[in-house]
Amino acid sequence: MQAAVREVSARKPLPWLLPLPAVLVGAGIFVPLVYLLLRALEADPSTLREVVLSSRNALLLRNTLLLAGGTVVGTALLAFLLALLDVRSDLPPLLTGLVGTLPLAIPEYVGAYAFLAATGPGGTLETLLGIRVPRPGGYWGAVLVLSLFLYPYAFLNLRTALRGVDPSLEESARSLGYGPWAAFARAVLPQLKPALSAGGLLVGIHALADFASVGLLRYETFSYAIYLQYSAAFERTYAAWLALLLIGLVAGMLWTEARVVRGVRVARTGVGAQRVFRRATLGPWRWAAYGYVLALGFTSIGVPVVVLAHWMLRGPGGEAGMAGALAGTLRLAVPTALSAVVLALPIAYWSVRYPSPASAAAERVAYFGYATPPLAFALAVIFFTLRTTPALYQTLPLLIGAASLHFLSEAIGPIRAGLYQAPPHLEEAARSLGYGPVSAFLRVTFPLLRTGLLAGFALVFLSVAKDLALTTLLSPPGYTTLAVRVWGYASDAMFERAAPHGLAMIGLGVAAVGVLIRIERR
Amino acid sequence: MWRAVLAAFALLLTLVVGAGGQTPTLTVYTGRGQAFVEPAVREFERDTGIRVQVRFGRDAELLAALQEEGARSPADIYWANTSGALGAAVQAGLLNPLPEALARRPVAFVPRHRRWLPLTVRLRVLAYSPARVKPEELPGSVLQLPHNPRWRGRIGWTPPYSSFQDFITAMRVMHGEARTRAWLEAMKALEPKAYTSNPPMIEAVRAGEIDLALTNHYYVARFVRLGYPVAAYHFAPGDVGSLALVTGAGILRTTRNPAAAARFLEFLLGQRIQQFWASEHLEYPVVRGVILSPALLPFDQAIRRSPRLDFEALRDLEGTLRLLREVGVL
Repeated sequence: MQAAVREVSARKPLPWLLPLPAVLVGAGIFVPLVYLLLRALEADPSTLREVVLSSRNALLLRNTLLLAGGTVVGTALLAFLLALLDVRSDLPPLLTGLVGTLPLAIPEYVGAYAFLAATGPGGTLETLLGIRVPRPGGYWGAVLVLSLFLYPYAFLNLRTALRGVDPSLEESARSLGYGPWAAFARAVLPQLKPALSAGGLLVGIHALADFASVGLLRYETFSYAIYLQYSAAFERTYAAWLALLLIGLVAGMLWTEARVVRGVRVARTGVGAQRVFRRATLGPWRWAAYGYVLALGFTSIGVPVVVLAHWMLRGPGGEAGMAGALAGTLRLAVPTALSAVVLALPIAYWSVRYPSPASAAAERVAYFGYATPPLAFALAVIFFTLRTTPALYQTLPLLIGAASLHFLSEAIGPIRAGLYQAPPHLEEAARSLGYGPVSAFLRVTFPLLRTGLLAGFALVFLSVAKDLALTTLLSPPGYTTLAVRVWGYASDAMFERAAPHGLAMIGLGVAAVGVLIRIERR
Repeated sequence: MWRAVLAAFALLLTLVVGAGGQTPTLTVYTGRGQAFVEPAVREFERDTGIRVQVRFGRDAELLAALQEEGARSPADIYWANTSGALGAAVQAGLLNPLPEALARRPVAFVPRHRRWLPLTVRLRVLAYSPARVKPEELPGSVLQLPHNPRWRGRIGWTPPYSSFQDFITAMRVMHGEARTRAWLEAMKALEPKAYTSNPPMIEAVRAGEIDLALTNHYYVARFVRLGYPVAAYHFAPGDVGSLALVTGAGILRTTRNPAAAARFLEFLLGQRIQQFWASEHLEYPVVRGVILSPALLPFDQAIRRSPRLDFEALRDLEGTLRLLREVGVL
């Protein structure tokens, strides 16, 4: 009976309004990129060849690829062990969960700065704890620092996948004579492939987008070069070309990931509920496991917080402008997260209730917008507004619009998960009782979606609160956020002023992550 | 009856207009940071009752906006981070000459045409690690810095940073294109470490990654204030390595409030604000009588340290960028 109801709903015609937001989102993402291309093509061909095919670009390309690759591997290693301990060992899952997600609250550039200040002779770690740690720098420094602050993306994906693995597969492998490690490698690892590649893609996207931490660690990549061109106002055409090359790189990455996952089927086909894993008792290994988790938590969360607190205490203290910066962050992040959720909802609804190639394409377009490095997207938006609607240039609504388009993909996942939990026949029952389509949705599905919407909101809020790239390029003159202040003060060596802003930003991040953890534990 | 209403209306109108006249509003375009500008503006508003609206941005960006807005610009004051930008504003005919009495306030760096006034001064210096380097080992001129092979791989610099570029422009103005190019080549042969901004470079001096760093004096002073083991070495007086980076402001031709605008500049040159900038931001004042942090040079030495040159000539940034790209340091 239930199946029959679904059949009917699937054949129902698509409400014509439903794809409209997706079309708007697609236009919002692609039209500026067209202007970026137009701007780039303004260069005359001879300088163009010089600019695009220079040996410096080859170096930047090599650096960018090496960094993205190294960071993907680094985060996978850090996150794999942590996710395994979280799902399969008797360590308290609250601890592993916190260590796995809290670094999301710390922007990479704050982390990078903290590491530079904490390490080496006379660094904060030596001053406070007497430990002298070698300084990160160059390629390995950049890989290390980015991995330490990006591994949660890999962790969250791996944890979900590990939880979904059916233990009976592994048990069958054991019964066929494989040892515990071999059984794990044969029966479980292949099932983690989609999660590893999805997490790796997210990490790669962030590694390509980062310009601030790689600059601090003296490792030059495409995003860093774009920032340099823009901030010193050297050469806008060159910046446009760099942005296009970077977008090409991202498109290549998306394509590779799609090929990796194609044809992998990991769903259970049996009926009945899945059994839960027996958690392994670690015995004496317990201490090693604790050591790993605590060391990871200390380096990724402890070091930045300790360095910020130390700066704050060393300075003359008192920070008058902080309320303004906090208000700036909220005035940007709250409307952006709201509009991202509002735009994501119809896209998710379309793809869950009326799945079709078109709805899948809509999701992919949103993801492409997310994958486009924010510096490149911001440049595109600048070229677009200056040519079409100069009145919008450097206004808060434009910044909010651009940021919601860029980050809305983060909200689709949780909303989609929520929709799966709100079966369509509930809504149809409401319809049969005489409610219209919209009020049926609002009365029946929407309440079930609340946690999904909240999680989507929290994810976008978190990203916008940390954002530096879009805010720096698109905000109205003089508009400040906590992130802008932290970066500005740190660049002026006014660390005692940067510190309270940084701690406030981490505080907002922790609140958002706390919301996510609570939703997840329910 | 009608007459009474009319009279009341007229009275009201006078009151409103009068009140408007009593609290004029100033609009300031500035390339300086909020933490630097806002406290001074708040004090000015409290003292004078004149409301001030501030538009923040980069020097060049605001200059472009002023030119775009033309005669309709609401701005009264252009307050820039660099003398090069002020020079460009003078060249574009945006600034009015200032009253002579006001122009006598700063003890130095006032341009002859009096179209802008200096507000603070920053000096180029060489940051060093006192633990590893004795100041006697350092040359009197920055031009000799690349001649000592001991510093191979031990010097930090910041080619993308605007003050570094101003310093190279000054070298071109004082010593010519060829010598500047030769200096850059010689420095490059010493394999200096390039940083994007000054703070990570000074962290690197502290951590022993490098021994010397070409930077601005206030970065060193701010690190010293936080207890870092770094110090500032000043090249000889008159050497381009001791270049003064002059910040300043001028009154725009479009001002509708020349008196209030002049009062604002006078206020910024007063003891209170000059002292605030010296103690909080560790920049050098341009008036006498300000107490300076021990991390800074005494006022008289600081103000005479820089070579004398046409500070507005620092606006030729294009030529410097071209040179830096040709030599391959940018």
